Amino acid sequence: MKRSEERSVSQVPRPVLGLLVIAFCLQVAWQALQPKPSARAEALPAPATPAMLRVLSLNEPVAAAQLLTLYLQAFDNQPGISIPFRDLDYRRVVNWLDTILSLDAAAQYPLLMASHLYAQVPVETKQRLMLDFVHRSFLEDPDGRWRWLAHGAIVAKHRLNDRALALRYAEDIARFAHTAPNWARQMRIFILEDMGELESATILLGGLLATGEVTDPNEIHFLTRRLEQMKNAEKSSPMSKN
Amino acid sequence: MTRQITIIARYTLLEAMRTRLPELVAAATLVLAAASFFVQQIAITESTRMQTGIYASGMRLASVFIAGLYVLASVAREFNDKGLDVTLALDLPRAHYILGKLGGFLAIGVLVALAASLPLALLAAPEAALQWGISLALELGIVIAFALFCIVTFSQLMPAASVLLAFYLLARTLTAIRLMSAHPPAGADVLSHQAIRMLAEGIALVVPAFDGWTQTAWVVQTPATWSGIGGLAGQTLLYVALLTAATMFDFYRKNF
Repeated sequence: MKRSEERSVSQVPRPVLGLLVIAFCLQVAWQALQPKPSARAEALPAPATPAMLRVLSLNEPVAAAQLLTLYLQAFDNQPGISIPFRDLDYRRVVNWLDTILSLDAAAQYPLLMASHLYAQVPVETKQRLMLDFVHRSFLEDPDGRWRWLAHGAIVAKHRLNDRALALRYAEDIARFAHTAPNWARQMRIFILEDMGELESATILLGGLLATGEVTDPNEIHFLTRRLEQMKNAEKSSPMSKN
Repeated sequence: MTRQITIIARYTLLEAMRTRLPELVAAATLVLAAASFFVQQIAITESTRMQTGIYASGMRLASVFIAGLYVLASVAREFNDKGLDVTLALDLPRAHYILGKLGGFLAIGVLVALAASLPLALLAAPEAALQWGISLALELGIVIAFALFCIVTFSQLMPAASVLLAFYLLARTLTAIRLMSAHPPAGADVLSHQAIRMLAEGIALVVPAFDGWTQTAWVVQTPATWSGIGGLAGQTLLYVALLTAATMFDFYRKNF
């Protein structure tokens, strides 16, 4: 007959059982009497250098970039506490985003965070810092990152009311991002129109149509109508160009 | 009675000395000291602070790994060699065997903590290094007692090591888990969140929160308070007593 693996509880001496029960009760009572942990907001530390991060990640820069991205994203929601974006040190945040991009240049995530999350705070200096980061990153890889700068142009125009900045971004998209779709490359025309620069907008739009860059018939129809409207507006209010 | 416990403890310590555990601890200390020196050399600023931090955090993990795994391997070997069967055939209560083994392992833990904290005395303030060393010895005490409990309960190395690793990871992250479960970003009133919060609070009653032990901040920023170290000693004593009782309970129920 196979011997049982375990003997019955009655084989355990009573002092051992007593010690077990007493120690368990004391342990539970001790822990129950401890004060509950309280959350404390921690300042965002400076990121390590990309070279150091490469070493720490065993030369897995893409994985390191992804982990850093998640860490940064979660930083505004530390365990037990939620920190508004406006309370973050934005120069540090930019350093983190720069580090992440230097580890994984193909990543779009940091640019999304910059343009759609961190640039939404109602603090102009912080918005400008983020837009500047997006612009700098765009210049490094215009064809891969034009969409974030396009969003930046919209933020500059509608949130910051800085049409000159929006126009600069839109012009850079048109100049450098050759694979960007036409709507993005045409942004500068509509920004110019909004700025009252009807003559410049008309010339740009006319040039765009004349070069045959736009091939979609519906788009050509829309832009032609738009060109006519601009020409009419220009004739009716010659003072608008200043 | 005390003599039997002392003899088992002494032979446990002797076994550690003769199985090259001191050399292993010395090698780990040297490697981590060299790694921290490398960091100090490449750091542009706060070089000593970085060296101290890297060494303290790395040595803490290495000590836990070495001490925990040594206990598992040592007792597993006794199970497999049937040396335990012979020992238990003598006029020796099982509780004394556990107390003797635990005493020997705890002495090993103290020696490992001592070796780990010696280089820190050169890098940090002596008081902070002493507090860090005492706290590491206390932490190793719990890890050792838990490792003994695991190997006695499971008898096999793999399940015991897995449970020990899970316990340590849980204990190191317990406070963060409690905070996250108590203050979720959304849906705090949902039943599942309530259940998770209660589970985390329940675990906190029976698992020590290791983030309070052996903090690197003590040696690079502000030293701990001695009353805080006293509190850790009390918690350790209580938890080791609980684990010892649980180990004895399982050991008395084992058939050999």
